[in-house]
Amino acid sequence: MSLLRYESQVRPPLVEGEKNYHQVTEDICRPVETRPTKAWWIGFIISVAFLAFGILSVTVEVIYGTGQWNLNKTVGWGWDITNFVWWIGIGHAGTLISAILLLFRQGWRTGVNRAAEAMTIFAVICAGQFPIWHMGRVWNAFFVLPYPNTRGPLWVNFNSPLLWDVFAISTYFTVSLLFWYSGLLPDLATLRDRAKKKWRKVFYGAAAFGWTGSTKHWQRHEALSLVLAGLSTPLVLSVHTIVSFDFATSVVPGWHTTIFPPYFVAGAIFSGFAMVQTLLVVTRKVLGLEEYITIEHIDVMNKVIVLTGSIVGIAYLTELFMAWYSVVPYENFAFFQNRLNLNSPYGWSYWIMMGCNVLSPQIFWIKKMRRSLELTFFMSVLINIGMWFERFVIIVTSVYRDYLPSAWSTYYRPTIWEVGFYLGTFGLFFTCYFLFSKFFPVIALAEIKHILKKNGAAYKKKMDELEHESVDEFGQKHGHDHGA
Amino acid sequence: MSQNKYWQGFGEVNDPDNLKKLSQDEFQEELPFEGFDDKGLIDAKAPRRDFLKYLGFSTVAATLAAGCKVPVRKAIPYANKPENLIPGVAKYYATTYVQDGNVIPVVAKVRDGRPIKIEGNDLSTLTGGGTSARAQASVLDLYDMYRAKFPLHRTVKGDEVKFEEVPKFEQIDKMVSDAIIAASGSIVLLTSTIVSPTTLDIIGKFPNLKHVQYDGVSYSGMLLANEASGFGRKIPSYDFGAAKVIVSLGADFLGTWLTPVEFSRGYSRGRKIDEKNPVMSKHYHFEGHLSMTGANADERFTHRPSEVGNLALALLAAVGGSVAAPSITDDKLKKAIDKVAANLKAHNGEALVVCGSNDKNIQIVVNAINSAIGAYGKTIDWSKPLNSFMGIDSELNDLVSQMETGQVGTLLIYGTNPVYSYNDAERFKAALKKVKVSVSFNEKMDETTELCEYIIPSHHYLESWGDAEAKPGYTSFIQPTIYPLFKTRPFQTSLLLWSGNPKEYETFFKEYWTAKLGSAEVFNKALQNGLVETVSVASAGSYNNGAVPAAASAISTYSKGTGAELVLYQKVSIGTGSQAGNPWLQELPDPVSKATWDNYVMISMTKAKELGIQLDSDYEYYPEKPVVELTIGKNKVELPVLVIPGMNADTIAVAVGYGRNEASGVTAAGVGKNVYSLATNNGTTVDYYVTGVTVTNLNKKYKIAQTQKHNSYEDRKEVIRETTLATFKKYPDVIPEYREELQNDYYNNANGSFREATLYPQHDQPGIKWGMSVDMNSCTGCSACIVACHAENNVSVVGKREVLRYHDMHWLRIDRYFISDEKNPDELKGVVFQPMMCQHCDNAPCENVCPVAATNHSSEGINQMTYNRCIGTRYCANNCPFKVRRFNWADYNGADSFPDNQDQQLVGKLDRVVGQMNDDLTRMVLNPDVTVRSRGVIEKCSFCVQKLQAAKLTAKKENRMLADGDAKTACQMACATGAIVFGNVHDKESRITKMREDNKQRGYYVLEQLHVLPNVTYFAKVRNTDELIEVEHKEGGTEVHNETGNAADSAAKLPTGVTTQEAQQ
Repeated sequence: MSLLRYESQVRPPLVEGEKNYHQVTEDICRPVETRPTKAWWIGFIISVAFLAFGILSVTVEVIYGTGQWNLNKTVGWGWDITNFVWWIGIGHAGTLISAILLLFRQGWRTGVNRAAEAMTIFAVICAGQFPIWHMGRVWNAFFVLPYPNTRGPLWVNFNSPLLWDVFAISTYFTVSLLFWYSGLLPDLATLRDRAKKKWRKVFYGAAAFGWTGSTKHWQRHEALSLVLAGLSTPLVLSVHTIVSFDFATSVVPGWHTTIFPPYFVAGAIFSGFAMVQTLLVVTRKVLGLEEYITIEHIDVMNKVIVLTGSIVGIAYLTELFMAWYSVVPYENFAFFQNRLNLNSPYGWSYWIMMGCNVLSPQIFWIKKMRRSLELTFFMSVLINIGMWFERFVIIVTSVYRDYLPSAWSTYYRPTIWEVGFYLGTFGLFFTCYFLFSKFFPVIALAEIKHILKKNGAAYKKKMDELEHESVDEFGQKHGHDHGA
Repeated sequence: MSQNKYWQGFGEVNDPDNLKKLSQDEFQEELPFEGFDDKGLIDAKAPRRDFLKYLGFSTVAATLAAGCKVPVRKAIPYANKPENLIPGVAKYYATTYVQDGNVIPVVAKVRDGRPIKIEGNDLSTLTGGGTSARAQASVLDLYDMYRAKFPLHRTVKGDEVKFEEVPKFEQIDKMVSDAIIAASGSIVLLTSTIVSPTTLDIIGKFPNLKHVQYDGVSYSGMLLANEASGFGRKIPSYDFGAAKVIVSLGADFLGTWLTPVEFSRGYSRGRKIDEKNPVMSKHYHFEGHLSMTGANADERFTHRPSEVGNLALALLAAVGGSVAAPSITDDKLKKAIDKVAANLKAHNGEALVVCGSNDKNIQIVVNAINSAIGAYGKTIDWSKPLNSFMGIDSELNDLVSQMETGQVGTLLIYGTNPVYSYNDAERFKAALKKVKVSVSFNEKMDETTELCEYIIPSHHYLESWGDAEAKPGYTSFIQPTIYPLFKTRPFQTSLLLWSGNPKEYETFFKEYWTAKLGSAEVFNKALQNGLVETVSVASAGSYNNGAVPAAASAISTYSKGTGAELVLYQKVSIGTGSQAGNPWLQELPDPVSKATWDNYVMISMTKAKELGIQLDSDYEYYPEKPVVELTIGKNKVELPVLVIPGMNADTIAVAVGYGRNEASGVTAAGVGKNVYSLATNNGTTVDYYVTGVTVTNLNKKYKIAQTQKHNSYEDRKEVIRETTLATFKKYPDVIPEYREELQNDYYNNANGSFREATLYPQHDQPGIKWGMSVDMNSCTGCSACIVACHAENNVSVVGKREVLRYHDMHWLRIDRYFISDEKNPDELKGVVFQPMMCQHCDNAPCENVCPVAATNHSSEGINQMTYNRCIGTRYCANNCPFKVRRFNWADYNGADSFPDNQDQQLVGKLDRVVGQMNDDLTRMVLNPDVTVRSRGVIEKCSFCVQKLQAAKLTAKKENRMLADGDAKTACQMACATGAIVFGNVHDKESRITKMREDNKQRGYYVLEQLHVLPNVTYFAKVRNTDELIEVEHKEGGTEVHNETGNAADSAAKLPTGVTTQEAQQ
């Protein structure tokens, strides 16, 4: 009877606990419909406090100028752009999970895609803060928009990678937001239908855009999902590619590298998955969703992490090889003196990067390690530290010693406002995430029901039973009516 | 037609009159004040409720008014347009900068009544239009808010010192003359050396006045030695241009010794390279510490400062003088002496030996050497002696003794500051108390002035009439360029009045010169030119070697130094310290150490090792430098250390001119330490070196703000190019071959096509294309260009704290690279100075990365900045390979969108000097042609585009083509050695085109391999040594040639636009 099986027997169920549709609905809607827990409040207040400090930091910087940060005439970008690239990288996993994995029909994505998409959106919002507030005259930021104006021929410079960033990020954000929201529609309708309080009915009613669950709706929803997935897929690759162009198209040794686009994308997926892991390990525990976000999910994502981590590692080695092979003295210096050399002022940051991003994820070749929650959490944090340092290494260690030794500078360490801005974006991110987890289902309700029949524990159990039945038994059990 | 009456309300129907009235008075109701009773508002009894209303309103109104402070911007137009003055058009007045013995004829640029820029006077045959950093900065001194602003009377009651303003000059004149009459004892006038003939005339006519001249840094040793050698108390003219061999025994003649502007000009003349026949003068330098001049030397030898006498004797013996050669233990020095002597002898009559020592005996020996090598009459001209630096150390000593014994009744002080610069300042202070009447005429409140009883401040030179005779017959004039800003008076007027000649100095001066020059017309013409140069008739004197044996035997008794020896030197920026209150000069990086805002101990690496100072990366990378204590007898000074290569192992050096007191203003106050007191008196003169100094490492740290931290060159390619004369003669084509190879490589990859080699289109430059060339062989590092750039382009002063954060704003910097012996870094092979400014690349990397096109390329090849388009992403600064773009990190100029935005406390606190630069008075120095940049925007060198535009407009108005030399950049004009040439490279006849054409073997672009196509050419530095740097014969290069054909072929393949450009390189 194995022909009846949708998937291999060795695959463990993606939804555990032999759930039926109603139970799934109950489980996932519970956190939204009950009062927030004490833990939620504590986390939320801490996040808002961080956010407030971030706002203060930025305010001071806007009033007094970029000199509130310790950048200097040689190091024009430091924590600001490091954090920007870091957050953008984190914002990659969500869309990758939703779009690319949707196209590849990866059923396991349904458990994690909602949270990952939300994370993407929040991370892109956080990322967007940096290029905006790092401007010396932020009130003129609108100059980067190609809008019709009265300034005659004055127009944006389409040669500038920074302008490409503006387009790439805004497009990515828009599409990600649409994708996330269109996926939310059926779930919002569920919440609306279950709502007992007036405001919830109004709020979710408005948010659900009149979703009735008719076949027509479902049909259009599916079509839209596919279209958006198709749109998002190239965006996942393009955003970080374009961000990498900020560096790759420059003349700075250490930035001017053709390997950057694929290397940045791999790194982004790497760090994005790590961030998803960080969040999910906590979310599933706090919201009691262990049966939906299973060890199996964690395992699969750790596999992606070890793969992308290794790609990143190869990229690092390729860079080194090219620096040596090209015989360009400046590039050689950037890699072997500014980075590899532990005695150079920022040599340590290169080795933190190497350790966190390349060496440590190799532990995930071992299955037991992939399935350890504690280790996964630890590693996910470690990887994001490593990925932060990757960006720091690229930006600061290239530019602080470039062509003319007379202009070299080492006096770059962040001020309280630079750190404050970064912490503030954490505040922003988690404030958003806490609100999201309170008001929206963190697991895609409708989508998980899709796979319940195919990958759920109850289904698997039934299929197991069928497997062991002989044809006769099967006939007796299910075919007696026909005999009559 | 209906006759119906339409109505809207009952009022209209029933009471139309009242309604009409109501609708006319908009606010028809009477104000409901209670108890108003027609008695008026004041008399109304205000009930509690109204009181609260008023209180609330007025509080809110006051808060709003106070909180929404609108910055007041002042622009005062002329009520009546003055004759001969067009607002917005600059006028130029010839005048003369006189300070610390330097007489530099200059032209002051005056815009709308305000002098804003100092330029050299081309008519002067001495300076040839060259200036120094201090002369360039002097315009800022005019607007110094810490100048003495009115006459003051100082009274002391117990411990309390009070300065009272004396409202009228008559009053203070009366007070002073009464006091002088009442005081018994002599009247003494203490001044720095006076070079003004009229002033000397006035002083000479003052009855019973004793005149003592005293200079902060003295040359009395030379004066006395020259007297002993039969030339009289004179300092001769030195012609460095005529000398084929120049030997300097510690004389920093390009930086601070005597008249460096004149010397630099001559020196560079002898060192210009003609590629067809490369010859240049040979410069040997002996010194203890690394000076700017030493950095320029061809061969440099270090020794203990106490050894200079022996070296002079040895050199004299070696060139054939009849003295016994002293034993010189150092083998290197011994060989050096022989080599130098041989070279000097070979160039008899074409050589010159100068010595920086202030010791009479040593200078007598140096005179003997110069006599032996036939320098007199050839490279040394006694018929044109200097009029400055005439102070004799012993005269001040005698004066102080007289003051101590109460013989001096009245002391008048002008242009000198002995309480600060005298080596026994405490003694002077005590003696000053014994003087009954003390009067100071100084421009600023300084250490001496604040101890004087009467203070009658004098004008700044830009407000004055006057004259200066640098050498007999070379007179330049000083004329006012602005009405005196404060209640000041020329000190000559005071002298005239008090000597019973009630005449303004102006009248006296005009009468004097009209009489002397023959007519008012000639005088006016002279004033216009700023100078009169007549053939000198001074007698030359003749050399007499009678004093040599005695001097030689005296020198042999000099104690040999042991342990550390200290040298006091002057920095090119601060000099003797008289202009220490000038923010531009304080922020000017020292050419050698690249440090701003401090003095420090320069020590050798050997000494550093001895002191246990680790020269690790932390020392190099971070501004915290170790602090040491110098102990000399009772004197102790705590100073930070900078380890400099090329120092004699046992020599330590500290600059004078720092450590001014609070009275001199927030700029100078507290910056560095005053070390004049460490100078010692050898009985005749002041010695600026001390032996037996104890140096203790205090294991403390102090931050020094350097603008360049990395000293080594790190084997970069095509940044600096340097070779020796011998190598250059043997392999003249090293640079062109390398460049050709680069180009071949480049076009090879692009199928030999320029267009295919780049993604970006070629800029169209149909008319002018501006270009600059910098001859590194002429650049001495003097930094006058940096200050000129500051003044011309309103470049901000950011203060030490910001320099420490690497936020300095210099548009033009002079990069300094040390070339050391790999094995022994103290052994310095050379120093290269490279002025670095925006290279105005044709393929500018900054331009294509700006998202808003705030930086773009002009049709004249200039990389331009549009400040009000800039949003401050700093991407251009990151992408600039030369790192010449500067970002406004804070509101340095008060030009921010947020008013009064300089009060940050937590991070980036600004120094008080930023406040000073933003003071209304100081801001008068700003050039109105150049935008003051707000914070948050990038700025950089613009090739002084405002001057180029002005030149083009003038040419257009005069309906002619722009001539070569019409447009000059500020740095070019300031340069005394002509190292910077600027012009239109499309003009085949222009100086720059010819210069590039004539120097093809030395010309190169920095980082040419990046193919950013800069518009600034550098000419390689050539050091006149016999060292032959073997060039690896590049077989690869030959192969490339074979593949692509010869250079002419590949040039022919280029499109036209490129050919012009490349051909001119």
